[in-house]
Amino acid sequence: MLKKYFSSSIGKKQTVAVTGFMLILFLIMHLAGNCFIYAGPETFNKYAATLESLGPVLKLIEWALTAVFAIHIAFTAMVVIENKKSRPVGYAASHYKERSLATRLMPYTGIILLVYICTHLFDFTFADTTTAISIFQNHQLGLYGLVVRSFMNPIKLVWYLIAMSAVGFHLSHAIQSLLQTFGVSHPAYTSFFRKLSLGLGVGIALGFSIIPLYVWFYIVPTLI
Amino acid sequence: MNETLHLTLKVWRQKDGHSKGHFETYKADNIDSHASFLEMLDVVNDRLAIQGIEPIAFDHDCREGICGACGAVINGRAHGPMSRTTLCQLHMRNFNNNDTIVIEPFRAKALPVVKDLVVDRSGFDRILSKGGFVSVRTGGTPDANATPIAKTKADLAMDAAQCIGCAACVAACPNAAAMLFVSAKVSHLALLPQGEVEKKERVTNMVAQMDQEGFGNCSNEYLCEAACPKGISITNIARMNRQYLASSVIPA
Amino acid sequence: MSLNSNIPSGPLSDKWTEHKFNLKLVNPANKRKFTIIVVGTGLAGASAAASLAELGYNVLNFCFQDTPRRAHSIAAQGGINAAKNYPNDGDSVHRLFYDTIKGGDFRAREANVHRLAEVSNNIIDQCVAQGVPFAREYGGLLDNRSFGGAQVSRTFYARGQTGQQLLLGAYSALMKEVGKGSVKLFPRREMMELVLVDGVARGIIIRNLVTGQLESYAGDAVILATGGYSNAYFLSTNAMGCNVTAAWRAHKKGAFFANPCYTQIHPTCIPVHGDYQSKLTLMSESLRNDGRVWVPKQKGDKRSPASIPEADRDYYLERKYPSFGNLVPRDLASRNAKTVCDEGRGVGSTGLAVYLDFADSIKRLGHKVIQERYGNLFEMYERITGSDPFKEPMMIYPALHYTMGGLWVDYNLMSTIPGLHVLGEANFSDHGANRLGASALMQGLADGYFVIPYTVGHYLASQPIPKIDTSHPAFKAAELETSTRISQLLSIKGKRTVDDFHRELGMLLWDKCGMGRTEEGLQEALVKIPQIREEFWQNVTVTGSEGELNQTLERAGRVADFLEFAEVLVTDALHRKESCGGHFREESQTPEGEALRQDDTFCYVGAWEFKGVGQAPVLHKEPLTFEAVSLSQRSYK
Repeated sequence: MLKKYFSSSIGKKQTVAVTGFMLILFLIMHLAGNCFIYAGPETFNKYAATLESLGPVLKLIEWALTAVFAIHIAFTAMVVIENKKSRPVGYAASHYKERSLATRLMPYTGIILLVYICTHLFDFTFADTTTAISIFQNHQLGLYGLVVRSFMNPIKLVWYLIAMSAVGFHLSHAIQSLLQTFGVSHPAYTSFFRKLSLGLGVGIALGFSIIPLYVWFYIVPTLI
Repeated sequence: MNETLHLTLKVWRQKDGHSKGHFETYKADNIDSHASFLEMLDVVNDRLAIQGIEPIAFDHDCREGICGACGAVINGRAHGPMSRTTLCQLHMRNFNNNDTIVIEPFRAKALPVVKDLVVDRSGFDRILSKGGFVSVRTGGTPDANATPIAKTKADLAMDAAQCIGCAACVAACPNAAAMLFVSAKVSHLALLPQGEVEKKERVTNMVAQMDQEGFGNCSNEYLCEAACPKGISITNIARMNRQYLASSVIPA
Repeated sequence: MSLNSNIPSGPLSDKWTEHKFNLKLVNPANKRKFTIIVVGTGLAGASAAASLAELGYNVLNFCFQDTPRRAHSIAAQGGINAAKNYPNDGDSVHRLFYDTIKGGDFRAREANVHRLAEVSNNIIDQCVAQGVPFAREYGGLLDNRSFGGAQVSRTFYARGQTGQQLLLGAYSALMKEVGKGSVKLFPRREMMELVLVDGVARGIIIRNLVTGQLESYAGDAVILATGGYSNAYFLSTNAMGCNVTAAWRAHKKGAFFANPCYTQIHPTCIPVHGDYQSKLTLMSESLRNDGRVWVPKQKGDKRSPASIPEADRDYYLERKYPSFGNLVPRDLASRNAKTVCDEGRGVGSTGLAVYLDFADSIKRLGHKVIQERYGNLFEMYERITGSDPFKEPMMIYPALHYTMGGLWVDYNLMSTIPGLHVLGEANFSDHGANRLGASALMQGLADGYFVIPYTVGHYLASQPIPKIDTSHPAFKAAELETSTRISQLLSIKGKRTVDDFHRELGMLLWDKCGMGRTEEGLQEALVKIPQIREEFWQNVTVTGSEGELNQTLERAGRVADFLEFAEVLVTDALHRKESCGGHFREESQTPEGEALRQDDTFCYVGAWEFKGVGQAPVLHKEPLTFEAVSLSQRSYK
């Protein structure tokens, strides 16, 4: 029965949606954690240390998260491949003028995010926070320092902002889409859900984007 | 007022399901702006026939927007540029003199071209044969007023039941999905107490057949709703998603 | 050959019940040994195919459309009658029976019509059980409305799409059986020939419209539910594909054609606007509740309607029929529109239209009320014509809409060919000379759900039916006949298109055998039809080939049959010198110019026997006797 569900069009789509929903929750928590940066190096590093101290629990969470990502990507890939096959001959006249930018960019923003996440993991998660990179004014600032140093690099800063706008586009479609996919829909709320989706998407993207700008314009001048 | 239009048509011609198709260009001169799109094609076809060229094949029957037989993609839009309008109800006054009109069949793996603009929509019949009904026999039914049905529910069921099975939703969907069509029938029957009884088997079996036919997956872009000549709402798709999940978690 | 209608004896209201008891039954285990061919998937065909399959018969179901759901029953707007008496306004089976027989101008069989009224209630129950979303009141019970001038509210409806919803209901029942494998569905197949073995209907030849191949199917009984012949007139409200071919092929094999001259013309259609026009669109009759019909008093008055002052307008229905006014029955409204147009007072670019004006109602009731009542109709009108009925009066004109005549059948719905049963609009049985609004849907479903399942069983159980298959020489002969005819059509390669001939025939019929018919006009038509037919067979151009999807060839075959059928239509109209229902003979009218029935001479069903193309058909009369009702002349003054 489960096999039938997961191989059905709606089952696959709902799997994408439920994993997407988990990822959105993760993003919101991640953003909340990131906000410790406004409280200064000690608090931020302490937050990081607390996370580290979870030990095996953290590992478990990380593996679960990786699995969720993998499922999200794998099912999306299956759906996209099937969708391509379902129309072997395309239209000569342009057909998709009414499609919103967010939906049209969905696969591309998804790919940008995938690449970004890899670079992001190497930059922060797997990085050694005790090297000279993290030292500012003779202080070893740990992860905080690493973050600041990263965003001092304009290329990384711009790449980060591009990725976060991809997050914004991706989520502004995703949130209303997952509501629809789980059948949370009523004509009275359709426009509210679309606005909510757009609002949340843009809000999360802005929330993440303000941090590097804060670093660039506020922290860097004080540290150097 | 009557106007006379001079048009250029780029029409998909394909001899049969096995042949490769191509576009042909035809001049459509002196077309009355009051003619319907299909009447314009009739005029063009009559002129072709006189020249010994085989007319353009297209499906059509009632020509009043209810049978669901007609349909083609006109300049990239299923059933043409007017909303809530089947191709037979589209009139030439909505076009301008000297326009070039691109006419293509509905395209999907599950709607193979039979000839020119004619496509095979028998997949829709097969989907409905898996559950698009209430399993009652003729005779022996209770009095029609035995079960009251709230007017709001009956109206919602009627909204969904208006689907004409033209397949414009599939044609318009970027993924050639048939979700709007299938969900309209699932909703129509599930909303009524008569159909509610077997709603779980219905949604499970109809979705399974829909997948088997090779229709694409829904990506919630709602172009189906925009193209639907009967204004079938995407809330029906949401209802089907909900029911499908429920009947997968707790089968009938 | 004498016509035996097989009407059971006994009191009228017991006939059907008695008859059902007397009908022979087929043993449940034996039902699967019988194969029944059903041609057509409209209300009658789909309901019959589904019901017979439920009983256990093997059913083969054919339609020319790409799916059964497209049959033209789908286009019926108004509603379906039943004698439920839910509104408590005095309706009963007997009243529905009486209204239908009177509405048919006393040219239908009492027993058939009574049975129709009896089963009408079962139909509503059946449809509701299938999930047909009829209109409901706030309390959750079914809503009824008055329709077509009936004194009681007995019409059930589903918005303006009752036919669609009923057909989708029957189609769903059909698809349920298709899913189980008890009905084999054959879409995009057109019946080309009926096959008789030893004088009994045993199969059909069809053309696969996709591959062009001829295919033979054998069965133990054949059911035709192939609709009416309005398209003989080229322009009608019927779908483009509606045709007489199946009925005509059966007629040529020996099935009598009854009352072909009874055609119904609907008064409120959108007028013809150009020679490219392919069909006419019906606007609901309900518009006459609030619209006023008028034309200018002066011949050739070309002023815009707004600039014609009240004094120069002729509200001719209100003038001639003060008590019914704009709500006179369909035939009167249609005929009077023709009269004023013939006088040169018609409006619009063609002069073949009259105004239906809502200005007074808008003034009296307000824009909002009119919008609520007719908004969707006004929108439809504007979509087609580009003119807004709120700003200028609608233009309407009558159009061919329904045909009461059809293949002759007995009480068991069997034609004069044993084994060949005919249902729905394709038969002649229940509407007499005129059909009341919301009765067509009722008859189609009555025949399919509640009559044929009993009577076909009786036929199958009544005589030994030898086993045959399509290797029988009769099938080969019929196939050869069909393929010869197809090759002939393709070989002509003339100069005129199929539609051109069809249009010519249609105009002739509309002129000479339309709303008003005269001896002279009909004689003229009888001379011209063979000429058109002759030219058709010498000068038509049919492109493409036989072995492919060829829509021109399909149309050519149908038009060829219309060209033969038209002669019996006109012959019937010529012989019936009375006026009744949809058949108005100008020679037979009252001093006030109303239709005059001649019950002494013409109170019978006229059933025609085929004697060869171009040969005069032979008339057989089935006398009509009335026990429960007394014949009266209609009056709407």
